[in-house]
Amino acid sequence: MSIFFFKRQLSTIAAGKGLVIPKEWLVTNKNPVTPAKDVRPADQTFLTFPEWFLVFSPEEQANYFKQHTATTFPYMRHTSQIWKSYRIVNKQIKGNFPTNWGYHFMIWVIGVSTTVEYTAKSLYENIVGRLTDTGQPATAEDQFNAKYTQDYVAFIKDLPWYQFDFKSRLKDLWKNTSLSGPHFFRKWERRYMLTTELAVKFIYGKLIGIGTKQVYEVALLNTAVVLDDDSLHYLPRYDKFAAAALELAQQGHSFKEIAGNNSAILLTVWVPADHKTDFANAQTVFIQPITSYPTMKRVAIATPVSALSGVLLELKKAGVQVEHVFDF
Amino acid sequence: MTFKDKLPVSYLLFTTRGRINRLTYWVAALFIWSTFYVLYNLLNAAFTPAATFIIYPLLFWALFATAAKRLHDTNKSAWWLACLLVPVAGPLWLVWLLGFRKGTIYPNRFGTVPGAAADYYKNDTGALIPHLKTEERLINDVTQLNPVLVAQIVVPQTVEELQQMVRTATRPLSVGGGRFSMGGQTASPQSIHIDMRALNKVLAFSAEQKTITVQAGARWCDIQHYIDPHGLSIKIMQTYANFTVGGALSVNCHGRYIGLGPLILSVRSLNVLLANGDIIQVSPTEKSEIFYACVGCYNAIAIIVNVTLDLEDNIAVKRQQVKMKGHAYKPYFFENVRENKDVIFHNGDIYPPFYKNIRAVSWVRTDEKPTEKTRLMPLAAAYPLERYFMGAFSKNHFGKWRREFIIDPLLYKFKKVHYRNYEAGYDVMELEPASRRQSTYVLQEYFVPVQKFDAFLALMSEIFIRHNVNVINVSIRHAKADSGSLLAWAREEVFAFVVYYKQNTDDAEKGRVAVWTRELIDAALSLDGAYYLPYQPHATSEQFHRAYPRAKELFTLKKELDPTGKFRNVIWDTYYK
Repeated sequence: MSIFFFKRQLSTIAAGKGLVIPKEWLVTNKNPVTPAKDVRPADQTFLTFPEWFLVFSPEEQANYFKQHTATTFPYMRHTSQIWKSYRIVNKQIKGNFPTNWGYHFMIWVIGVSTTVEYTAKSLYENIVGRLTDTGQPATAEDQFNAKYTQDYVAFIKDLPWYQFDFKSRLKDLWKNTSLSGPHFFRKWERRYMLTTELAVKFIYGKLIGIGTKQVYEVALLNTAVVLDDDSLHYLPRYDKFAAAALELAQQGHSFKEIAGNNSAILLTVWVPADHKTDFANAQTVFIQPITSYPTMKRVAIATPVSALSGVLLELKKAGVQVEHVFDF
Repeated sequence: MTFKDKLPVSYLLFTTRGRINRLTYWVAALFIWSTFYVLYNLLNAAFTPAATFIIYPLLFWALFATAAKRLHDTNKSAWWLACLLVPVAGPLWLVWLLGFRKGTIYPNRFGTVPGAAADYYKNDTGALIPHLKTEERLINDVTQLNPVLVAQIVVPQTVEELQQMVRTATRPLSVGGGRFSMGGQTASPQSIHIDMRALNKVLAFSAEQKTITVQAGARWCDIQHYIDPHGLSIKIMQTYANFTVGGALSVNCHGRYIGLGPLILSVRSLNVLLANGDIIQVSPTEKSEIFYACVGCYNAIAIIVNVTLDLEDNIAVKRQQVKMKGHAYKPYFFENVRENKDVIFHNGDIYPPFYKNIRAVSWVRTDEKPTEKTRLMPLAAAYPLERYFMGAFSKNHFGKWRREFIIDPLLYKFKKVHYRNYEAGYDVMELEPASRRQSTYVLQEYFVPVQKFDAFLALMSEIFIRHNVNVINVSIRHAKADSGSLLAWAREEVFAFVVYYKQNTDDAEKGRVAVWTRELIDAALSLDGAYYLPYQPHATSEQFHRAYPRAKELFTLKKELDPTGKFRNVIWDTYYK
């Protein structure tokens, strides 16, 4: 129901007005030790958050769909979280780093596409979906949806979403999902809905794939780090970076550069909903309630690259789950 | 009254019959969704989420009903909504079809074009006075300024019936058709009013010879519909196609045709019914003295029963226009229009309130593709834009300035190409104000020999400005000399000044109008011109006879052929002594 006007809680809460990160954490590294080919713009740690939210959001959906159908998922809150978080991170980098137009453009493209998708889903679920809803995933089609979303999340943690094989899922839906069973209307309504979703994503994914090839270079799949002993290491990029970084920290290392940067790096953690959200050597940037998991909240914090290993160790000690380290 | 008119919103939202256009569909969709949004939230807030389910049937029915009507507009049955069941392609196709595809431009199996009128605007059949036990009725014209109480209204269905009526009449007779004259030319107090509109048959038609014979009650638009498929067009008629042929003949009207003039020039012959009940055929060569006492003679000696008219080819015409100073118009006309065989229609519009500038508009023969999809002019049920402009122009000087310098330049920017029949198919409805109770729009017309154009323009402007007349437009037309009607308004080649103005309906205002009207008549007479008779009879008897010197011959003929004064109307009541 979140498209409608009774807001129960804010979707994203900024830690303060405008720039909240100390300005001295936001200085470009003029003479990086890291080889030039492995250096990435310093503001990208922030700009990758809205992009990664499009991984967090399906992940939440996959969790949610284990117990509920898609019909009651708060799509519009997630839409709001994309844009609000984008606004907040933008305030941190604006004026401190040269504007990264290509990255902003990419965020706009994926933000708008996701907004269209979530709005359409929200409208459809509120107008048609809710007429056939079973509450829990009772039909083979609702269960198919849960499984497909789970697989999709696993996929996009390592590879671009548009490379996901929507076509074979569509075949799977019509070939291997039982046509018989109770909840006749729900079954067919979901079949219609899933067919539409998979078909549209298949076509749109093909187009984005072509477009991306034209505009952006192939993304590097590793992140160069320079440790306190001036040694250069290559860690896996994206999802697996946090674990690798923690391992180095546990070996007693700290970081001088990550992807050529020694300015602030963003990370997100999950803490209980009543957590005070203050962390040593780190600045909280914003907080997002986890709408499908109300006892927890996501906190985005920033810390200088040099303090990252200490912060990671501290979090580990406190038993706080690190969701993601945004390795530029 | 249909359900559609009685409950338009219920019709729109809950019935599936008929057609709606794209704009209506979008507006309805906006209304449906916003209503749903508000109701949904109210129910959700006041009760429980489950309570919102009660509005779903309404939502779906309204969506279905509006979509069905929109599909009808594109000549498709509502069953096409089943396309929704085809994922992706179905909904997309329907969005295009419902929201963006133009409706068919002609009536289809589901109804007429949305917003189109079924027919041209018609005057009523005579107003009933409440509680009156006699057969008396009020006959009025389109201005509603001239109500006349008649003893009875008869609507003859056949010529024989009409003949019988004239033979046996014990009262004076007045004759009316479309009743678009504006001064009581169709009625006389306590007369029997003959409504000629049922006598409207086409009697003969020859596409080869380009002639048509129709009964006098036929309307020009009826003839257009009849001859358009044969690629033919009317040779001479007025701008508006609502009038009946008999009425137009009786006033000897004219249009905007170049190289032609009064309607009489396109008449081959007439059958007329005399006061004694005889029907005779007359033409310029056969009983011509009667012929010239019938066309343009306001039913003085006979009722026109049927007429044979010349036709022309229905060619495509393209609009051209140029704006100029008043004194430049006559030389422009003589150099570029008068002898130009390619110009079919032409008129000049003099801009009030200063009468200094003229926009000359010509419709010329073209091989270009018409910009209009229909061959004939489509009829609108309402003309909100035209009505708004007319109101705005009449309001004040700023309205008139806006017209001359903003609206007209915009309107004339567009290229316009359509058929001759299209350009001759205007509906009087476009001029109709929302109400004629407080104020009303009226026409007058003056004719002056072509060489006197500048002199009359100066005299006319002075009178309008001095009397502060609320003139909306003065349209200039051209006419060659009449062939001989006893009440010919074009005794030589003339320019016509068609004045369209607004006046209040109170008696003081009527008196004021009479004063400046007589001044204008004097102005025209001083230049050997004339004024036109289908309007209010403000002229004095002396002015009438100066403008129409052969009226005396007509009176003599009337004494001979209608000795008891059977045929009456405002003209004979006022000027025939």
